[in-house]
Amino acid sequence: MVNITVDGQEYSVDEKKNLIDALKDVGIHVPTFCYHPKLKVAGLCRLCLIEIEGVPKLQAGCATPVKEGMKILVSSEKIIKAREAMMEFQLINHPLDCPVCDKAGECKLQDYSFSTGQASTRYKEAKRFISQEVVGDNLLINHNRCILCLRCVRFSKEILNEESLERTQRGNNTVIACVKPGENALISHNYQGALSDICPVGALLNKNMLFKSRVWWYEKTQTICHGCSTLCKVTANVKNNEVYRYMPPENKEKDGYFICDKGRFSAPDFSKNRLYHFMINGKKKKSTETYAELYERFKKSGKVLIIGGTTESNEDLQKISEAVKLFEKNNKNTVWEFKTEDYMYKGDWNSQIDFLLTSDVRPNSKKAKEIAGDNGADKNSLKKAVKDADIIFVINELSAPFSYKTEDESALAENMVFQFLEENKGWDKTVLLTTHNNTAAKKANIAWPIQSFVEKDGTYTDKTNTEKKSAKSVKPPEGLKNSGELFEAFIETLSQKEAIA
Amino acid sequence: MATVKVHDKYKWKWYQKFYFISITSGMLVTLKYFLKCAILRQQATVQYPEEQRGYSSRFRGRHRLKRDEKGRERCTACFCCMWVCPAKCIHIEAALVPPEKANLYPEDKYAKVFNVDHLRCIFCGLCEEACPKGAIYLDGDIPKPFDNRDDFLSTKDTMLDKEGGPIIGTRL
Repeated sequence: MVNITVDGQEYSVDEKKNLIDALKDVGIHVPTFCYHPKLKVAGLCRLCLIEIEGVPKLQAGCATPVKEGMKILVSSEKIIKAREAMMEFQLINHPLDCPVCDKAGECKLQDYSFSTGQASTRYKEAKRFISQEVVGDNLLINHNRCILCLRCVRFSKEILNEESLERTQRGNNTVIACVKPGENALISHNYQGALSDICPVGALLNKNMLFKSRVWWYEKTQTICHGCSTLCKVTANVKNNEVYRYMPPENKEKDGYFICDKGRFSAPDFSKNRLYHFMINGKKKKSTETYAELYERFKKSGKVLIIGGTTESNEDLQKISEAVKLFEKNNKNTVWEFKTEDYMYKGDWNSQIDFLLTSDVRPNSKKAKEIAGDNGADKNSLKKAVKDADIIFVINELSAPFSYKTEDESALAENMVFQFLEENKGWDKTVLLTTHNNTAAKKANIAWPIQSFVEKDGTYTDKTNTEKKSAKSVKPPEGLKNSGELFEAFIETLSQKEAIA
Repeated sequence: MATVKVHDKYKWKWYQKFYFISITSGMLVTLKYFLKCAILRQQATVQYPEEQRGYSSRFRGRHRLKRDEKGRERCTACFCCMWVCPAKCIHIEAALVPPEKANLYPEDKYAKVFNVDHLRCIFCGLCEEACPKGAIYLDGDIPKPFDNRDDFLSTKDTMLDKEGGPIIGTRL
């Protein structure tokens, strides 16, 4: 820690940090566009200008090392004038089309234009116009709005190690262009959402979220992402009781600055084509009717197979494991197979696809492995178990977005569990716990609706064995139970009819 | 609780108690119209409904969507009116302008669907105030009764002006 003087006040700040971050820690906000704590300093936007005692000219704050006894000014009259002038510069070619722009509301340029800029401009010439371009399979670039902070270029290079975006031409004609080798090659990596997020203006936009909503409509909940076993902390953006997207968490310094596209855009699947009623053979039934039907089967059966559980919270898994113990106590041969996909059988649990996304695309496989127990069996044993079992419980394994996307239900048929059930005529004995009213729910003998990931509070265990809490961001319909509660309700029915002790 | 007296009852002057001035000024208005009709033959009434009086410029009728000087739709689907509407009667769906229609819209975003439900609308004029582009004004005709619920739903086809013009600004 070193002592510095800012605007005549003494502060003790961390000298290892960048000056911008060090000042942020003590509550002094210096406006910046191009500076990002995770990227190298570029000093392009010149908005973070500060006055240092003994230095005649204004200096870029982000490129100034913190030194003991340094005396700086961050809100003197000279600085305020310089910032105003810089804002005028940034806005020369900016179209100021905030009503149209999707970034409005979370746009740094908008914020700083209000806080540090002038009300009018002296620029009378025509603004440059370059039409919008598609640069990625989910990414658009609006050159007019760009202020050339090169955050996107630096992000691709430094974090993703990919030379896909570059600044081309010079001076007033400078534009950001996709320079991926190959004819009409588009950016296709998993961080296009992060690129549009890191852009301080609305130049980079995601195609799939384009014009869907406005930023100020969202209610925000701090929760975790369901996409893979990393369980990144995220902010859920909710509108009309529907999660539109995940955004990076509020406390970025602690919980991470970036999230991948897979998590960011898959949450809307939780609110499309939902199953909100109990079903027997595709027909709407009461919950008690399904319990009674299942009770009849349960009485006769000897072998019970439970598939899945890697998507459920620790609390639910605990309840399911109690149910399993009770079944076993009553002479039912109960097998709980939590492995449902190829990568799980290959033991490919923790390999990183990129710096965030893991190959394990279920949120809670670590805990499921611990509770259900890994017997090391291969795929054929599951196939055999499906054939032999009298009752098969499938827990949330055939619902979006875990086994398919709601736009593409055909992908469901490629799921391993789906195929095994199909091949071995297993649908007649299947109890499907699912969130979605899809082909699987209609085919299954009994379908139980359960709460989705975003509709319940729960604890999940991530790849490093850390327990993380997910918060309820969407209100479920009244009476909708989660998987653990359903098992409890079924067991209560059994004990009422004295089927189990 | 103590009562704070904020207003004293007006004390009438002695000459005001005769009502003479008030009655005279009232009768003068009557006399003015009498003279106009009787001597100058100017009529004080109109032959409604064949003939109709104009409304004040501040009258709020049904919504009209405006076009700019080049005939392009002013609305850019910013959702400001939809957001501010206290009756939630406006429904907008935004879309990206297709390249072949780029000359019809000033920006790259346009309202694919713009519906106003006149059964919900309370004609408060907040949409007019919220619009940053001067695209929506309540300067249409008076809200009429219909025998069908569907007719109360104004769509873009019925609301959009045929010709463009300069921005109206604040109506006084």
